[in-house]
Amino acid sequence: MTSNTMEAAATSAVRSRRDAPPRPGGGARLVRRRQRWGWLFVAPFAVVFAIFLVLPLGYAFGMSLFTSTLATGTEFTGLANYAKAFTDPLFLEGMLRVLAYAVVMIPAQLLVALVAALVLDTLATRVSKLSRLLIFVPYAIPVVIGALMWSFLYSPRFGPAATIFSMVGLDAPNFLAADSIFGSLVNIVTWQWAGYYMIVIYAALRSIDPTIYEAARIDGANGWQTATRIKLPMISSSMVMVITFALIGTLQFFTEPVVLRSVAQGAIDAAYTPNMYAFSLAFSYSQFNYASAIAFSLGALVFAGSTVFLFLTRKQSGLK
Amino acid sequence: MSSTTSTRATAPTDLTVATGVPAHQPRRGDGRGRSGGRRIGSHVFLIILAIYFITPLWWLIVAATKSNSGLFTGTGGPLWFDDQFAFFDNIAGLFTHQGGVYWRWFANSFLYAFAGGAGATILAILAGYGFAKYRFRGRGPFFTIVLASVMVPLTALVIPTFMLLSQMGLINTPWAVILPSLLNPFGVYLMRVYAQDAVPDELLEAARIDGAGELRTFAQVALPLLKPAIVTVLLLSVVGTWNNFFLPLAVLTDPELLPVTLGLNRWTALSNAGAGGEQVWNLITTGSFISIIPLILSFLFLQRYWQGGLAIGSVK
Amino acid sequence: MRSKLLAASGVVAVAAAALTGCTPGASAESCTNEILQPDATQVSVWAWYPAFEQVVDLFNETHDEVQICWTNAGQGNDEYTKFSTAIESGSGAPDVIMLESEVLSSFSIRDSLVDLTEYGADDVKGDYSEGAWKDVSSGDAVYAIPVDGGPMGMLYRQDILDEYGIPVPTTWDEFAAAAQTLKDAGAPGVLADFPTNGRAYNQALFAQVGSTPFVYDNAKPTEIGIEVNDQPSKDVLAYWEKLAADGLVGTEDAFTADYNTKLVDGSYAIYIAAAWGPGYLGGLSDADADAVWRAAPVPQWDPANPVQINWGGSTFAVTTQAKDPEAAALVAKEVFGTEEAWKIGIEEAALFPLWKPILESDYFRDLEYPFFGGQQINKDVFLEAASGYTGFTFSPFQNYAYDQLTEQLYAMVQGEKDASKALDDLQASLEAYATEQGFTLQ
Repeated sequence: MTSNTMEAAATSAVRSRRDAPPRPGGGARLVRRRQRWGWLFVAPFAVVFAIFLVLPLGYAFGMSLFTSTLATGTEFTGLANYAKAFTDPLFLEGMLRVLAYAVVMIPAQLLVALVAALVLDTLATRVSKLSRLLIFVPYAIPVVIGALMWSFLYSPRFGPAATIFSMVGLDAPNFLAADSIFGSLVNIVTWQWAGYYMIVIYAALRSIDPTIYEAARIDGANGWQTATRIKLPMISSSMVMVITFALIGTLQFFTEPVVLRSVAQGAIDAAYTPNMYAFSLAFSYSQFNYASAIAFSLGALVFAGSTVFLFLTRKQSGLK
Repeated sequence: MSSTTSTRATAPTDLTVATGVPAHQPRRGDGRGRSGGRRIGSHVFLIILAIYFITPLWWLIVAATKSNSGLFTGTGGPLWFDDQFAFFDNIAGLFTHQGGVYWRWFANSFLYAFAGGAGATILAILAGYGFAKYRFRGRGPFFTIVLASVMVPLTALVIPTFMLLSQMGLINTPWAVILPSLLNPFGVYLMRVYAQDAVPDELLEAARIDGAGELRTFAQVALPLLKPAIVTVLLLSVVGTWNNFFLPLAVLTDPELLPVTLGLNRWTALSNAGAGGEQVWNLITTGSFISIIPLILSFLFLQRYWQGGLAIGSVK
Repeated sequence: MRSKLLAASGVVAVAAAALTGCTPGASAESCTNEILQPDATQVSVWAWYPAFEQVVDLFNETHDEVQICWTNAGQGNDEYTKFSTAIESGSGAPDVIMLESEVLSSFSIRDSLVDLTEYGADDVKGDYSEGAWKDVSSGDAVYAIPVDGGPMGMLYRQDILDEYGIPVPTTWDEFAAAAQTLKDAGAPGVLADFPTNGRAYNQALFAQVGSTPFVYDNAKPTEIGIEVNDQPSKDVLAYWEKLAADGLVGTEDAFTADYNTKLVDGSYAIYIAAAWGPGYLGGLSDADADAVWRAAPVPQWDPANPVQINWGGSTFAVTTQAKDPEAAALVAKEVFGTEEAWKIGIEEAALFPLWKPILESDYFRDLEYPFFGGQQINKDVFLEAASGYTGFTFSPFQNYAYDQLTEQLYAMVQGEKDASKALDDLQASLEAYATEQGFTLQ
């Protein structure tokens, strides 16, 4: 089968199937019975969904309604933990910090991923294929290992920074100091995820019908115009998906700062991100109730944030 | 030019297979009519980017061949090999340090990643297919909830999940890691989107008319068509479980049960604390290096599936 | 495709088999060591002492009725986190756990430690100094058996001090002067480090001028006294603030690979350390081959009235999840209750014993340490430092208190606030926390 016929078949199949009503297949009763199979197929997942998502969420909410202190024991306090959370400077600072990370980190990852994907889309050489793989490789490295590696690389003793900077006659900066830790963490996350996003964007670019480029070329569009006026709008749904993931990931920032904290305890405190705060509260300070309130608040904020984002971009993402 | 066309010929086909969305070829206008200078510029840009992304890995490869003191004061510096090649000594060290617990961790990682990943994938295939091909009552609302749950940060669930597991008496068992990783709403979403387009209703109807039951129709008609999505979802779930840090950190205590990521993190903590005989930086670097090989290899060998598959959720 | 599916289900089947095959029950432990008497009562122990396996083997060889099943669940905070988790979940804790004395009240307030007075703690009370015993008791209750201590001394590089003609400092004034001399001479390193995350170390520096940060007694568990911003402590901190601001001491975090390297490669000429410090240095890699290490008493503020300080030591406590508290208490009492065990602890792990029979023995007093060129550091420094120790009271939320201390000290060396403000802020945050936790401030 040539790809053209496949394309035709696929396109027509997509067209005909979308919004098509279920076919009557031998009487309404039979159809109804068959539709029960739908539930059977979905049921195993539904069970897991109920046990490991709905139940924990409900449980967290329930726990967050109680307060347990070291000296006086546990009592029902209603929404007091939430009132406390939203006036707790540690939680609010952590929230602001992850928002700052979102503002810097997401564009950084996206820019690298987008430019790389656009360049790759115009090339088909061995170098480009190899680069595509190499840029993607960090995604295959577990986040913990990646962060451990970078904590070595940032180290003045282990790392290459001193060597590299001395080549240009400079002293290596301390990557783990309070004023540079932000950039150091942005760098780790960008390194880890940009390749993955690049592949998503690249795949989307590859699926654009090239006859459009032909038309654009005839109209006299140059490479830059093709990229910004045609390619970008056409992959906007991919971009929305990538940004949503990056946003959800960034707001629950945890692993990288936790790993780096072991070499930069001053610069990364125990409440550096809301997730780290919840973890410290629960497992270091044994305040499970308040930790649940923090976790639940964070979850609600992330959910609200990504929903708002998807609502604002509903045109691009195609979700309604 | 001929090499260009030959590489082109394979890439788009992969995509077609993978996404069900046709990638058109040959793409005219690419590379042609473009000045050599721009192409060189693009290549230089790509090479610089690739160097940035690969340098940490290069460092790790080099570090894995060094002895403990070589890591600090080796002759080669951080980015080149020492005179002393200690890679095999380090491997031997991984077998002897703490009774070779490293390999136990390694096996645990495999177990958790594959049991969790395969389980999550199976659930996602079934549910995705169910959502895509049956119009059962409550389908719309439930799918909306599943879609919304993609946005619930999973780490927010760790603390309550821990409390639940502890009530079930599962804390500090492999189940405490595997069972929660069966939850993969994004996988269900991907599978549904993919199944919707890749499994034509006409084919299912034909199978039913031939007298095949729903299960057989699913297994013989739908499953083969879902292959690229299955590989993608499996890879994503495996990576997700392999990467999981917060959950095992909370639910596992026994050193014999740790996945390799947590185990290496613990060695790092012990080495940083620096009590005598616990400084095993060389084992940490070598262990890290070995631990990343399986995933990198699986990504390399399964390239033709995931490269397009990753875009399933977004390509309309 | 079907083969793929088959393969996938195969993986699941294998995984399931592996799981059922090796799933330990919630409480069953897998031991790092070998159990010699499979029928004997097993007591699970968490501990992170170096060379502990030999001590465990020794115990198991000499006890037919009780066997230790040992796990290293991580060092310090890592282990405490696990323990805390297990307390909350009601299972998963070991029978006996190694805890530093500073966290005992944090755990006893959560009813997770057994009062050992019912299990014969008094039988061994005479084997420990009053200060050591006070650290493990609260009111009438005894929550742990002491193991090792952390009397502090000053380890220094004789070769570096000689090179720059610096006499061994005996007071903090001389210490500051030495730091200045070293800097003026353009030495590549500095005199010492002031780690903002030193926790117990920093606390000990304050204790030298009489700081008693907490007043707390389990008999009145809802009352606590907090005073971390007394003037003498502020003066001590201001001293370090100035040294740090002038670049006379480093401010690197302790307990990192970089710091460990700097300890032994000549970057620091002096390491103010606990008695276990020498063992710690000996285990570090990349040491300067020409280093000449010696030990001396810790510098004093008032040489006429020397005050000894203590970094803190570790203990064995019995958890309330212990299946057989009697057997567990036996392990806590006896595991480090023999000379043989202590010889391993001292020679292999460089522990400083609190067990009097060995602490007061000629063997320990006269022991020569090759690392110090044969110097008898116990006789010269640490026995004296240990003898004056009268015990110390920690808060029931010590982890929080230390995290806050670290944060404030870091802000200080970053130049965000001065020493006085740092301790005032610390005081305020601890008071707020205690109130919020339902304590009445005394």
